[in-house]
Amino acid sequence: MSTAGILRDAAFEAFARHGGRTAVAGGAEVLSYTELGRRIRDAAERLRGTLPAGPHVGFCLGNGPEYVVLYGATLAAAGLPLLLDASFNTGEIAAIRADCGLDALVLERSKAEAFDLPGKGEPLPFAGDVVVLPLAQSGAPTYRPRPDTEVCRFTSGTTGRPKCLEFSGHAVLSAARNWVEGTRMRAEDRTLCLAALSNGLAFNTSLLATFLAGGELHFFKGAPLTRPVARRIEEAGITRLVAFPTLYRNFVAPGGPARATLASLVYAISAGAPLWPDVREEFRSLYGLDVSDYYGIAETGPCTFERHAGHHRGLGEPLPGAEIRIAPDPDGADGEEGTGEVLVRTASMASGYLNHPGLFEQRVDAEGFYHSGDRGRLIDGRLHLVGRTQDHINVAGRKIDPTEVVAVVTALDGVEDAVAFPDEDLNREALVHLVVVAADGGLTKAVVADACRARLAPWKIPGRISFVREIPRTGIGKPRIAALREQLNARKEPAE
Amino acid sequence: MNEEEQAAAARRVRRLIYMAAGGKIQEEDLGNGETDLRTIGLDSLGYLNLLEGLERTFGVAIDLDQEEDHSFLHTIDNIVRYIGARSAQA
Repeated sequence: MSTAGILRDAAFEAFARHGGRTAVAGGAEVLSYTELGRRIRDAAERLRGTLPAGPHVGFCLGNGPEYVVLYGATLAAAGLPLLLDASFNTGEIAAIRADCGLDALVLERSKAEAFDLPGKGEPLPFAGDVVVLPLAQSGAPTYRPRPDTEVCRFTSGTTGRPKCLEFSGHAVLSAARNWVEGTRMRAEDRTLCLAALSNGLAFNTSLLATFLAGGELHFFKGAPLTRPVARRIEEAGITRLVAFPTLYRNFVAPGGPARATLASLVYAISAGAPLWPDVREEFRSLYGLDVSDYYGIAETGPCTFERHAGHHRGLGEPLPGAEIRIAPDPDGADGEEGTGEVLVRTASMASGYLNHPGLFEQRVDAEGFYHSGDRGRLIDGRLHLVGRTQDHINVAGRKIDPTEVVAVVTALDGVEDAVAFPDEDLNREALVHLVVVAADGGLTKAVVADACRARLAPWKIPGRISFVREIPRTGIGKPRIAALREQLNARKEPAE
Repeated sequence: MNEEEQAAAARRVRRLIYMAAGGKIQEEDLGNGETDLRTIGLDSLGYLNLLEGLERTFGVAIDLDQEEDHSFLHTIDNIVRYIGARSAQA
């Protein structure tokens, strides 16, 4: 149960301060700050009248004004919003429910009907086809959040149990304030956010930050194709576009939107995965605007931002409230001088993983720096990443723990060994490459792929599956990924 | 579209799917034109790339919000029929 109310107070203070200005626009719906505040109060009353005190409310919904209203209403009702990935499957939601407790889900009506969850109540209709689905708890959840936790978000966990990150109100407010200050966000800014609000990028750069500044937050419904996105930017006078590298790549592909359509943009922000240097260059050439790379970590919030036009390399300087250190590589390592693991300390750090006690703490050193697992260096105060020291796979901004994928496959009959590692497709998009050792020739790629589809969220499904006779391993059993890549490349197996 | 134009459109759609999926789906995996693309690994990013490719290759605007039924994107045959119908309207 949330007791601090820091976010509720900050939001309502902003609603009162900005009154009649436009706060949220999505499709045909436009809400002023006053109207948004009223809608949140009304929705909070309905939640109080329906759900237990201090409800845990899971959000399993795409972006839109109703998301903002019900998120605010959950805070206003002294509840705890848990921002789920909208593509989580029933198994993942059941695991979150058992671990963290879920008194209700916010989702589309069709999904509420399709989810096979015990204790489902009668859906409460809200605007459009959005409903709040009450869930009767059959017992106490395994874990209880810290008293100052006001929001939970998720990262991939092992064996289908997403890791629940707890954030205090102070941490979320600090992230928003530091983004406003560090990127000089103003009341005149109109942000079009194409990333899901469950993603740290969208959450920290768009939601509370926009309201503190008195700006406008615009949502986009439908597939983010460049043509309608450009039309929206032009029609609404969008000043900030928050998107992933793929969208920028599609903008610069032949036949993309005309330069004039993006004339109102002041910042084009890319995050989630490294932006390809040639795409950045081409975007500048075609649209006259630098794409600002941003570096943030789910566990720490926003870390860097490049605000100076003319700086074309690296991921920018630390934001206010963020400190970055590079842990030198051990003697004898073959990296460039000054390169090492990126350590981050911010005012917006998570408090911990609710359902994996002690795991977060293991990665924070005595001085409070989080060991990111990324490798990089600082050049003229700007962060440059060169790779990762860990095995997480980053697919379109979502970090996947390869052991989760491997656990699904090794449970299959006939699988002797398996390993998953990051790879790229022909479009240079990151994918999960799964390599399997089968006991006999009976196991096919289709069987493995079907098992993954049945057990994993869509974005965790391997984009490539290969079979080998043996996975090379070190003396202590660690897979030798570089040797395996060489083996696969030499075979020139057709991509699957 | 006549039969010849439909066959040419189908070949272009097959190529677009291969490119949209970043090579993860081979053209031979596509089978006949009735294979459900969702079952052979065309994910949301692949669909996004495919929609971009269809718009630019065939000069049609595809607004999913305006289409109640998205099954026109599920198979190659459906895509070709949709492109043919939209071209005829233009």
